[in-house]
Amino acid sequence: MTIHALLDAAFPDAATLDVEDRTGTGDHFQVTVVSSDFDGLSLLDQHRRVNDALAAPLGDGSIHELRIKTKGTA
Amino acid sequence: MKTLNEQISDVIGQEPVAVFMKGTPQMVMCGNSHRALQALHAAGAPITAVDILPDPRIRQELSTISGWPTIPQVFVKGELIGGADITEELFESGELRQRLDDALGADRTQDVKVVELELA
Repeated sequence: MTIHALLDAAFPDAATLDVEDRTGTGDHFQVTVVSSDFDGLSLLDQHRRVNDALAAPLGDGSIHELRIKTKGTA
Repeated sequence: MKTLNEQISDVIGQEPVAVFMKGTPQMVMCGNSHRALQALHAAGAPITAVDILPDPRIRQELSTISGWPTIPQVFVKGELIGGADITEELFESGELRQRLDDALGADRTQDVKVVELELA
């Protein structure tokens, strides 16, 4: 599954879900997720949720660099 | 000799600010590690750096301990702050300096040191 599909599956109600291939090489990504799932969570826990959704590509090394921007909707 | 897990736990538990990174502050090998260091430096943090590159087991053990998959990882007084993005965001909002003040006091030194782990 693509990064976008993995995030889509994890955050089906996201208000914003954006994946940018920063270098055009398919391994440096900037992901932006705005979702009510993050309401009330610390920044650390918000990023944990994204890391969990991307555990497979992070684990097998297909993501070399990941930048995360998260926000709740509240 | 202490196990790798014990050595990493010691650094996290004993150092005021621990940064697990790719390379060292003198020779940073990764953009995200550089961003985390810059934010910490600008917030007036002392830095104890551990290079995770010499052996893949360092990163494995670290992630087992922290539950955090990526590098860098920043800890203040044993508590995981996050990676480069969170460290940077907390710096920009002023929260990083506040957390450092709360944990270490406003009157702190800004020493930078590197800890080398012993590999069996």
